[in-house]
Amino acid sequence: MVSDKATLVNPQGLHMRPAGLFASTMGKFASDVTIVAPDKEVNGKSPMALMAAGIPCGTEVEVRADGPDEQEALAAAIELIKSGLGE
Amino acid sequence: MYEGVNASEGIGIGTVMVAVDPDLSFEAHQVDDPAAEKERYQAALSVFCEKTQAQADHMKETVGEAEAEIMSGHILLAQDPGMTDQINGMIDGGSCAEQALVETSTMFENMFLSMDDEMFRLRAADIADIRTGILAELLGKEVIDLSVLPADTVIAVHDLTPSMTATIDHEHVAGIVTETGGRTSHSAIIARALEIPAVLSVPGICSALANGMTCIVDGTKGVVVPDPDEETLNGYRERAAALVAEKEALEAFRGKESVTADGIKKIVAANIGSPDDVEAALAHDAEAIGLFRSEFLFMDAKELPSEEDQFKAYRTVAEALKGAPVIIRTLDVGGDKAIPYLNMQEEENPFMGYRAVRYCLDNADQYKVQLRALLRASAFGDVKIMVPLVTCVEEIRQVKVLVEECKAELDAQGVAFNRDIEVGIMMETPAAANIADLLAKESAFFSIGTNDLTGYTMAADRGNDRVGYLYSWYYPAVLRSIKNIIESGVAAGIMVGMCGEAAADPLLDPLLISWGMEEFSMSAPSILRARKTISQWTKAEADELAERALACATAEEVKAVLEAAAR
Repeated sequence: MVSDKATLVNPQGLHMRPAGLFASTMGKFASDVTIVAPDKEVNGKSPMALMAAGIPCGTEVEVRADGPDEQEALAAAIELIKSGLGE
Repeated sequence: MYEGVNASEGIGIGTVMVAVDPDLSFEAHQVDDPAAEKERYQAALSVFCEKTQAQADHMKETVGEAEAEIMSGHILLAQDPGMTDQINGMIDGGSCAEQALVETSTMFENMFLSMDDEMFRLRAADIADIRTGILAELLGKEVIDLSVLPADTVIAVHDLTPSMTATIDHEHVAGIVTETGGRTSHSAIIARALEIPAVLSVPGICSALANGMTCIVDGTKGVVVPDPDEETLNGYRERAAALVAEKEALEAFRGKESVTADGIKKIVAANIGSPDDVEAALAHDAEAIGLFRSEFLFMDAKELPSEEDQFKAYRTVAEALKGAPVIIRTLDVGGDKAIPYLNMQEEENPFMGYRAVRYCLDNADQYKVQLRALLRASAFGDVKIMVPLVTCVEEIRQVKVLVEECKAELDAQGVAFNRDIEVGIMMETPAAANIADLLAKESAFFSIGTNDLTGYTMAADRGNDRVGYLYSWYYPAVLRSIKNIIESGVAAGIMVGMCGEAAADPLLDPLLISWGMEEFSMSAPSILRARKTISQWTKAEADELAERALACATAEEVKAVLEAAAR
């Protein structure tokens, strides 16, 4: 298992478009991806869970990846979050 | 006649088709072979996703990229591993696929419904739509199909879901009527994008209408007229044709500057009631916001909105205008606007009572919360503060003292704001009109509120049938007040605008041009028409007309002179 941290910069938090982009990108990896916010852990491949977590802009989240391609998955996840998830 | 939410403007006349939701009831039962049941679910899900993808592709061509994304989002949500895992888990426990889908999706739906953010609450409707789609596949039922319709169809449906709108045969739809949904629902957004007149949230309309009935959908006023008589029908037909012709002619003014025929620059702005109205204001080509009524923040709440909540709303609007002016009117409570939690006493004569700036100055601590929020928002755009119902110099001076106090407090906290924020007056009382020269020395701008100015000047309530005839800005008393306010402001070198309905009156506009008014603020749909009117007059022509209008002794004569000169 590997992990790293990044801060969410999307002004309206994780709504449909960024959550969808994140989950569908993570879906391409075999590893399990988990987002850990201060008070919750959610499945990084589930757009619904990501949206429902209601993580606001400016939150520092931890990303955990666990599986055969965990390094690649983690790198992709951190880069996506830092780049503002396509917004 | 039925009334609802005017969600998409225009007039549609056509033949009713009531679309009835399919019967998706089922008997929940225990399954013996969970593996087969999971496969049955996967198969239904795949078919649903294929159909939805086809809808998204179709929509990309007919409606637009952004709208098609709503459908692509449905596929993502339907395939959500969180939801699928839970459904498979329930099936393993013996539930049938239908039961597992309904329970799991309802749980997610409720989770979204309980969230504070409107945008997330809208996702609940998407989940309900997905559930209907997959359930229909599982049960072998057809969902409502609007992809092939006869010409001029008025669709009546309980709720227009995104998937229905996706495939809608929009060239043949004359209008849409629903029993649910608001101005910000997907149905409303898509109806506006397709320019189909729509009236939403009309309770019981599906039972009131019957297939084959003729029906009028007035999406501008939010009115539905089933089975109209010949006279009504002809009236609406004429209005519909006139609307289309006018709209086409006005498109020539989109994206243009607002200038008089001799090149004097004006500003045509929009009046808004909440941040949600900004989109429509910009879509109608507003150059600025001339009046942002802040009451919505207070009326929609159960207690005083916090500085943070107010700041967010003001900032949203300031940012959306990208540096163009945003005039925000401070709380205009009292009169006909009651806010329960403020516990204001009932008064014999509320319009001459404890309202607007009078209430605010008497509750300075509350008022400063709003002033601080406005100052903070001024760091994000050209926010200006407008004070309503000023009747004397003392009031505007007191407000400015409070603004200075707020600035000092924000400085102490190291919070950014525009140090030169303009504080202006909404000119709406005869008292203010009479001392416009004195107020102009204290005020950064004037904006004339003609609704109250007309009512107070003529001492007539427009809602009172027996005296309503006196409520008209064509009376010389009102015209002279408006002239004095504009000319006093111009003499003092401050910006003068108007945010009452009179600003959009094409008969009055030449007079306003003559007196030197700079900013015309109105409800968004009037903007292009006002820009056209402004373009039709030179200052000299307007001066000549103004002189003749002011020489009249009665409102009737004034109106006749203006109508004869109308362009």
